[in-house]
Amino acid sequence: MKIAIFDDGAGNVHSLEKVLAAAGDVVHERDVAALCDADVAVLPGVGAFDTAMSRLSSDAARLADALSDGLACLAICLGMQLLFDRSDEGELDGLGVLPGRVQQLRTRRRPHIGWEVVENATEPTLDASGLRWGYYAHGYSCPSNGLHRVTATSRIEGQVIPATIRANRILGVQFHPEKSSAPGTAMVRAFLEEVAP
Amino acid sequence: MPSARLIVCLDVRDGRTVKGTQFEDLVEIGDPVAMAAAYEADGADELVFLDITASTEGRSTVLDVAERTAASVFIPLVIGGGIRTLDDARAALNAGADKVCLTSPAVERPELIGEVAAAFGAQCTVANLDAARTESGSWEVRTRMATGRTGLDVVDWAVECVERGAGELLVTSVDRDGTRSGYDLELLKAVRDAVSVPIIASGGAGTAAHVIEAFEVGADAALLAGALHDGTLRIDDVKSAMLDAGLRVRTTAGSS
Repeated sequence: MKIAIFDDGAGNVHSLEKVLAAAGDVVHERDVAALCDADVAVLPGVGAFDTAMSRLSSDAARLADALSDGLACLAICLGMQLLFDRSDEGELDGLGVLPGRVQQLRTRRRPHIGWEVVENATEPTLDASGLRWGYYAHGYSCPSNGLHRVTATSRIEGQVIPATIRANRILGVQFHPEKSSAPGTAMVRAFLEEVAP
Repeated sequence: MPSARLIVCLDVRDGRTVKGTQFEDLVEIGDPVAMAAAYEADGADELVFLDITASTEGRSTVLDVAERTAASVFIPLVIGGGIRTLDDARAALNAGADKVCLTSPAVERPELIGEVAAAFGAQCTVANLDAARTESGSWEVRTRMATGRTGLDVVDWAVECVERGAGELLVTSVDRDGTRSGYDLELLKAVRDAVSVPIIASGGAGTAAHVIEAFEVGADAALLAGALHDGTLRIDDVKSAMLDAGLRVRTTAGSS
């Protein structure tokens, strides 16, 4: 299995790579064509919205088309937010695979950093991994309604946010499974087994 | 609010974990990679490697420690100490850190905070405040292992750190460090009232009650070091006490 991480140098993809490497050959890619060519594309959750979109630049449409056409994708935190039309965090357009706007959290404490219970789960990878607590580090959250299905939620200061979403062959995760201890790494493995058995 | 976090801090010098009292009398206490793995198994919510290596040439050792830790430990990892430039921050992240903790160099050149936050995001940028009580009842920012006087007021500096992009503050009481007499609760309250980002209580924890007190005055996380390293406290015992006190706590398989 060829797994390609979109790595624009904006942060730590080290842990994610270690988790993925247990399941297949992992390559770091800045090149969108190579990303689209992999069995599984991974959009990691590091950096800022505009920085990531400007690095994708003219190739953003190509990636969006591949994701709409069924490219298997694990999109984490910021990576999940990039799937939408736009975000409160940035000026640039997102990938637009999913309609809607990523919104700034309305919480008193921001950014939201820490462990939360992941609940209301219909997400199969959560069931498979037994994950109950996810580690979050973000200031924005994805829309609850649209073309995607919300497959688990977390409650932050009373605000319910999507914890995991599904669309096409994409799994979006707002928390960091690669930082959520053993259940988190099991969750990533479960997704890889599902999309590239 | 997220669950109350317990963060384990390992002071690393030349690749080994060390511990001192009020920043002095350092003794080696173990291998940070093995200790990190054991603390993850015990239920630590996060780990901090604070590099206190004096020499520039020794600096890369903490990166090696982080890289070996991140290969098998899958909880958030923070590297602090010795980060002077954006390139230093990038090297720490590439070695497996999820966040960097900015110390004295950020006091000396505050622009560093904004540079790191712009490149990697506020959630990745922790500012450390070493706070020493003054005779007038406020706190002064110290640098360089608490020996450097700055004349800066801690609360003012906390606000400036956040304005410049810090997404989290590590609030360390220089007076309480290593004393096991409890966190400086007045310090935590003063910083809590001034900023909305998460704050981490640091310096002075000796009992589970100290940890609970810190959360009661508004800390989002509590840093533990010496009391865990010498076995005085255990993470699962502290978490049990926190649950009994009505705090939300991440529980793991094998703990209560």
